[in-house]
Amino acid sequence: MLLKLNNIFKWVQSGGQRVFLLKDINLSIEEGEFISIMGPSGSGKSTLLNVIGMLDDFDEGEYNFLDESVHNLKEKHRANLYKQYIGFVFQAYHLLDELTVKENLEMPLLYSKKSSSERKSLVADMLDRFNIVGKKDLFPSQLSGGQQQLVGIARALISSPKLILADEPTGNLNSKQGEEIMELFKQLNDEGVTIIQVTHSKKNAAYGSRVINLLDGRRI
Amino acid sequence: MFKNYIKIAFRSLKKRIFFTFLNTFGLAIGIAGAILISLYIYDEFSYDTMFKDADRIHRINGDIKFGGEARKFAVTPAPMADALRSDFSEVEMVTRFRTWGSALVRKADTEANIKEESTTYVDDSFFQMFGIDLLVGDKATALQEPNTLILTKSAAEKHFGSLKNVLGESVLLNNTETYTVVGVIEDLPLNSFLREHTVFMAMAGYADSKIVNWGSNNYQTFIKLIPGVDVADIQVGLQAFLGKYVIPGIQQFMPGVTEEQLRAAGNHLFYDTVALTDIHLSSNLVAEITHNNDIQSIYILSFIAIFLIVLAAVNFMNLSTAHSLKRAKEVGVRKTLGSNKSELVQQFLIESGLISFLSLVSALIIAIIALPFFNELADKNISMPYTSPVFWVILLGATLVLALFSGSYPAFFMSRFIPVKVLKGGGQNSVGGGTIRNSLVIFQFAVSVLLIISTLVVYQQLEYIQDKDLGFSKDQVLIVNDVYAAGTKAETFKKQVKDLGFVKNATLSSFFPTPSNRSDSTFSPKEGGEQQEDAISMQIWGVDYDYVATMDFEILEGRNFDTQFGNDSTNIIVNETAVKNMGLSIKEALGKQYTPDMGADNPLYYTIIGVVKDFHFSSLKDNIEALSLTLNSSANSMAIKLNAGNFSNAIAAIENIWSEMAPGQPFDYYFMEDSFNRTYEAEKRLGNIFIIFTMLSILIACLGLFGLAAFNAEKRTKEIGVRKVLGASVGQITYTLIKDFLKLVGIAILISLPVGWYAMSKWLEDFTYRIEINGWVFVFAALLAVIIAVLTVSYQSIKAAIVNPVKSLRTE
Repeated sequence: MLLKLNNIFKWVQSGGQRVFLLKDINLSIEEGEFISIMGPSGSGKSTLLNVIGMLDDFDEGEYNFLDESVHNLKEKHRANLYKQYIGFVFQAYHLLDELTVKENLEMPLLYSKKSSSERKSLVADMLDRFNIVGKKDLFPSQLSGGQQQLVGIARALISSPKLILADEPTGNLNSKQGEEIMELFKQLNDEGVTIIQVTHSKKNAAYGSRVINLLDGRRI
Repeated sequence: MFKNYIKIAFRSLKKRIFFTFLNTFGLAIGIAGAILISLYIYDEFSYDTMFKDADRIHRINGDIKFGGEARKFAVTPAPMADALRSDFSEVEMVTRFRTWGSALVRKADTEANIKEESTTYVDDSFFQMFGIDLLVGDKATALQEPNTLILTKSAAEKHFGSLKNVLGESVLLNNTETYTVVGVIEDLPLNSFLREHTVFMAMAGYADSKIVNWGSNNYQTFIKLIPGVDVADIQVGLQAFLGKYVIPGIQQFMPGVTEEQLRAAGNHLFYDTVALTDIHLSSNLVAEITHNNDIQSIYILSFIAIFLIVLAAVNFMNLSTAHSLKRAKEVGVRKTLGSNKSELVQQFLIESGLISFLSLVSALIIAIIALPFFNELADKNISMPYTSPVFWVILLGATLVLALFSGSYPAFFMSRFIPVKVLKGGGQNSVGGGTIRNSLVIFQFAVSVLLIISTLVVYQQLEYIQDKDLGFSKDQVLIVNDVYAAGTKAETFKKQVKDLGFVKNATLSSFFPTPSNRSDSTFSPKEGGEQQEDAISMQIWGVDYDYVATMDFEILEGRNFDTQFGNDSTNIIVNETAVKNMGLSIKEALGKQYTPDMGADNPLYYTIIGVVKDFHFSSLKDNIEALSLTLNSSANSMAIKLNAGNFSNAIAAIENIWSEMAPGQPFDYYFMEDSFNRTYEAEKRLGNIFIIFTMLSILIACLGLFGLAAFNAEKRTKEIGVRKVLGASVGQITYTLIKDFLKLVGIAILISLPVGWYAMSKWLEDFTYRIEINGWVFVFAALLAVIIAVLTVSYQSIKAAIVNPVKSLRTE
């Protein structure tokens, strides 16, 4: 068991009424799964992903990640938890424009205080593995969207997380690039990484092992 | 990690070159201004500190009211020195100066005189007192003999070419007195009270210095205390001097007068001390050796320096937080990738440190380039203390503090961003901090408006002084100095000059209505002369028959001196204030008799034959004092009233006559108007400094506003797009964007107007004759601020308003 959500509620107050973003979500995910979260706009997909990623709070319910009770943790501990175990992939890549590909990859390692030699070898491995050695000194603006997302995924993977959270990772890509990225996810999943993606596309969802459908904050 | 921070900082600064430039430039100007002002202030505080044991040296001051108004003197009576030596065991030594003004100096056996502007008699303890060494000569014996003198190095070289053959040479002062040169000293530092003095004559040869006369104050008296003594002890002891020394002196002239009687008549006399190192900034008494500065101008400058730095720092904070919108994504990404708050704070602080350092380097360059101009402006000779480690330590330390101060707010502000929000691209709502940014803009503009108001008021007051009816005509009056050098031919010189076609009139006198050190005499009336309170204190100016006409004085009652009346030598003309002090009306005053030497066996009484309208002969900071004119044939100078025309021809013609009358004597002249203007040099300097630093602070405020306008336009891109789609015109959108800034500027104006009014009223209180602060000053300052603000934000606003909405709406 990697994580388990029990009766998760999340709401905002609007005009004196509670508007539910997440309503009674129950979900458990095992290591090695590849999950797709689907649903129309505003159904709470990204919110759920952010709750799982511990970037966002919830108002009610229990969340256990590995053996920790996330709902009882202080923010700092929660942050340490996600830093250690979770990698994020964004629709808009969110690479840092001022840094080269190599430096973008290196950044999480700097924050986890890896030694310089360790950083070098990990970055080199990653560049090799994604076949982007030739691009290591380019800046993000010099890459195509697909290449940028490749770097984004490599950056998410570099600190060997147990779980990758991807929020519409192919949303900004054309179909061919999108396919390549999905193939990559599939391959990573085969290598043992747990993946949760948010997607609009049935085709992309098909790469996963399980689909979770949301509507107005509820699982259906 | 650190290396990574520096690298990122460099790249992101380079990428946002415009923002970096605004920030660096603003800070650099602020720092450069503060460096210059600090050097100026440091220099001001360094006055007289170079003398050995400066902390133990004090000067005796006198505060005297004896008939007339109370006056504070930097000089005391000649016997003060002996009294101090005998009464105080705490006093290690005493040195007196008796300043003697300018003197014509020539080597014996030569003809041509060279003028030395400042000469003084001085006691032989001079060298030991101030720790001054002789370049040539014997310190142990110098100045002990009468008619000996020492020169400064530059004076010695001027007269003798080199220092080799100076010792033992004879020189003539004013063509009459022969002195032997017994030593040469190094030129006195520019930041010492003796900076203007070049010739020091032995006090031993000055007879007046040995006469025990407690009634006249002519000697600058300095004491050096033995180490560890508190000067307060001396100050207490000095209070006894009135009863012990001064009263017995007065009793010689006014037998039976007691201290109680004097006090009862409202008179007083206190002696006090001032530390040598405090003189330059806190002492502005009658008969100072050199013109001193005012601590007030130091305060004002310090304020300006602090303002500049704070304005620049505020700019920095404002631009950085405004810019944070662009960096919000970076913060979000970094946080999800594992950065914690403190690491982000560190990173941003390193960036602000880098900007501060860049600014420091630019500021140094700016300051070095500006220094010569600043020196001219401030009338200083300041150099950059490149070799002083303290300077560098302070500079680097201050930059570090500045970086922390201005970088900490943006750093903490940005590190607080919540990743979920900023990564979603929520625009303005995700950043916040608007209130603080707005307050900072208000603060900047309030300061700028305040400075604009101050500048206007200072300039108006200066103009008022310039144009004020002084009661005489100072224009086109040429004054030729040292006409006594022509001896008996002075009168002939005057006659020949008067005959020149372009000369309206000419007069010989030693007194002119421009500020200078003059002394009062006590005049007692013939009737009721024994009553203390009937005596008045008046200046006596020796003049000739042409004086009143040349100066264009207005006679209110009575008549001018006239050759047709044979006995005018015992008549005087007084001014309105004198009549008022006598308690008489102008008509009553005519014919009244007064004497300046009451107590003499056979006092000479002067009869008042005329009353002139008050004229300003002192600074407009002071009240007009009582004054009397009397005929006197010995005169230092000649005033020549010229017709309008070519002055250089006129001067050449007058010089021609002079060299015929007085061959070999220097022709030294000045225009009265220049001398008048010099009186207000301090104020003018202040005015100029105000203007320059006001412009700088406005420039800094504009840089900030410009950056903020850019940010604001960007923040509202979507809103602008929507408005345009709904049919708003470019003008309407520009107006919407500018309006917000004008609100801030409006608030700033409301804050600064009362503050400005109060501050400038205080400043004007220094002037007895001053302007009323005009309403339009405030209107003008407010308008100027509004115009500057509109111009500054217009560019960015219009640029944002003309963007195609398709573009701006696509970003979502």
